[in-house]
Amino acid sequence: MSGGYNEIHPEPTTFWSKYIISFDHKVIAKQFMWYGIFFLGLGGMMALLIRWTLTYPGQPFPIIGNLLFPHSAGVVPPDSYAMLFTMHGTIMIFYAITPLLIGAFGNYCIPLMIGARDMAFPMLNMLSFWFAFLSGIVLVASLLLPLGAAAGGWTSYPTLSTMIGSPGAGQTLWCVAIFLFGVSSTMGAVNYVTTVITLRAPGMGYFDMPLTIWGLWLTAILNAIFVPVLGAGVILLTMDRVMGTTFFLAGASATSGSGDPVLFQHVFWIFGHPEVYILILPAWGIVSDLLSFFSRKPAFGAKSTALAMTAVTILSTLVYGHHMFTTQMSPLLTQSFMTLTMTISIPSAIFFANWLGTIWKGSIRFDSPMLFSLGVVFVFGLGGLTGLHLGTVSTDIYLHDTYFVVGHFHYTMAASVLLGGYAGLYFWFPKMFGRMMNETLAKIHFWGTMIPLNGIFFGMLMIGYGGMHRRIYNPFVYESLQRLIPINTLVTQSAILMGAFQIVFVINLIWSLYKGKKAPNNPWNVGTLEWTIPSPPVHHNYDVIPVVKCGPHELGNPNLKNGRDFQYQTEELVQGPA
Amino acid sequence: MKRSELQNNLAMTIALISAAMLFVTLFMGYAVYRSSAEAWPPVGMAHVSLTLPFLSTIFIAVSSWFCFQVKNLVAINDLKRANRNLNLTMLMGVGFMISQSFLWLQLKESGIYVTSGIFASVMYGFTWIHAVHVIGGLLALVYLKIVLRPKTNELLQKTINVERFWHFLGIVWFAMFMGMFVF
Repeated sequence: MSGGYNEIHPEPTTFWSKYIISFDHKVIAKQFMWYGIFFLGLGGMMALLIRWTLTYPGQPFPIIGNLLFPHSAGVVPPDSYAMLFTMHGTIMIFYAITPLLIGAFGNYCIPLMIGARDMAFPMLNMLSFWFAFLSGIVLVASLLLPLGAAAGGWTSYPTLSTMIGSPGAGQTLWCVAIFLFGVSSTMGAVNYVTTVITLRAPGMGYFDMPLTIWGLWLTAILNAIFVPVLGAGVILLTMDRVMGTTFFLAGASATSGSGDPVLFQHVFWIFGHPEVYILILPAWGIVSDLLSFFSRKPAFGAKSTALAMTAVTILSTLVYGHHMFTTQMSPLLTQSFMTLTMTISIPSAIFFANWLGTIWKGSIRFDSPMLFSLGVVFVFGLGGLTGLHLGTVSTDIYLHDTYFVVGHFHYTMAASVLLGGYAGLYFWFPKMFGRMMNETLAKIHFWGTMIPLNGIFFGMLMIGYGGMHRRIYNPFVYESLQRLIPINTLVTQSAILMGAFQIVFVINLIWSLYKGKKAPNNPWNVGTLEWTIPSPPVHHNYDVIPVVKCGPHELGNPNLKNGRDFQYQTEELVQGPA
Repeated sequence: MKRSELQNNLAMTIALISAAMLFVTLFMGYAVYRSSAEAWPPVGMAHVSLTLPFLSTIFIAVSSWFCFQVKNLVAINDLKRANRNLNLTMLMGVGFMISQSFLWLQLKESGIYVTSGIFASVMYGFTWIHAVHVIGGLLALVYLKIVLRPKTNELLQKTINVERFWHFLGIVWFAMFMGMFVF
């Protein structure tokens, strides 16, 4: 495992070494970005197919329906419906959000923001992307199987996911794909943690790191510890499916000596609960920084934000049981898990209050990254509050497996993370590609995303509270759900609207890539290290490794005399007259 | 400590924590199966004879000792003797795999098939997962053999990384031996 150790590598010269098997963290970040955007589109299409089926059952999906489902005249059949919600969840979590937030921003921001020339292990970094790529191919290939892809839900609970519930090879390929993705994530995590610890620029203490880096670093730590837990789970599940073991088979299906289907749920959520923080922590970090940058004020209580995020990271490992209150867990355990879950509200409330403290009395600039960041504050607030209902045993037993859960987790780990990802993309695009994105289109994209997004997920909360179960194919056949049809329709129409507005983003992205205004070195006037170098940065990032002399959020200091309202991290902190 | 050493040690530690979590999960599952079983091994299944698992333990322990010597010899730059010890490490590693294969054969001959329920699942499944890692370890040893030359960059660091992984596999096996075969 030999690495770069912060030396200048020779610049690659061929197309192959420059863009395909590149060792450059900036190129790998872009590879992850396109990978993530591709899967975001694919997962988004699946979401539309799901919503269409729920609101217009029996009607062919417009335009591409006949192409996708020729045997049912364009209508989504029930088995394909199960496959769609399974693959939607899997794709969005592992193949869209993870590569975008962790793969793209992690790779791009970590070395640049800590003043390093590359990751600690560039080759491992390259391998991490190609493992993810291979995993993506396996997953997409499973869609083409005769019996289709996995259809046991993204959680793949046995017995739905054993040979009894899913006889096709789709579920097996799902396991293989997830395992490969886990290998990729672990490689990335090893790299990120090591890089942050060993390659910070001279003078940069842990609390001088931007909060983005804190989020990514904590995420990497969780990844390294908990992704292998899921790895073990999917290996055993694969053995059950392929080799005839009975780890997760019980009762009649296990011939002698019983396995335990619920054990998989434990294994899944020991990984799964940290996973939701794995996804949200980078977004929290990005938002914590951007709120300060665009309020032209130091981040309120930056140190306590970092420590609160650390506390959430630690607590996140102790609460997984709240996903399983209805599995006949001992009341003593449910009470303990409930208490621990409620404890997470404390650090969450701390950094949430810090966010509000940051924008309080700031001279706020409503540029697109700020709009998206404020969007995160709003939707994460809603997502967090609805989490209280689900973390409480007495209300969870009623709400378990309803659309309330779907609404809640979409607010927290879909809406928040998506908006956080967009905020980061609009913010770092000038640095990544050397061109500005169109601000008007970006604002249209923001409102076109934000308003329908709340229509979708708040609608889901309401129909869930009204009693609509998850994963049902046709809500129209249940008399009790008839009265929810208008809200269901609102959700679907909002989804279509939101989907349509993403086209604005894609147009903006492609157009700006080639025709966008040339970006200056520091278009947003902020002081973190990546803005001290040209946009886009040269191959080795820094000709001279910078020396850090102050924190990342030195904005609006009244003692600044040089006509700027911010100072770079490489400048001595400006003090007032003693 | 040089930065490169720190990076390597740190990265290897994190990688080993990751790998350990995989096995910890397996042991957790084992604890659940074993504690919820009415009888272990289930009625009608005999205890697995300790001879072969014990032999495997000897093999992997001795190989770890040779591997330790490889590192010490690389540290004093005695590559010739290091190479000899590396060969012995690999030989013992292969010996471990052969011993494990006989263990699987023995299980099969005593009527315990992979499909024979949870006891068999644990016995075969967990030892297979460990064996796959041992094969990975053997490949790492082959890699070390290839780079065991005076001109290799950071040879000692590479040796230490491979050595640590090899010891890790020994420790995991020892935990399996005690938890699944002895007790």
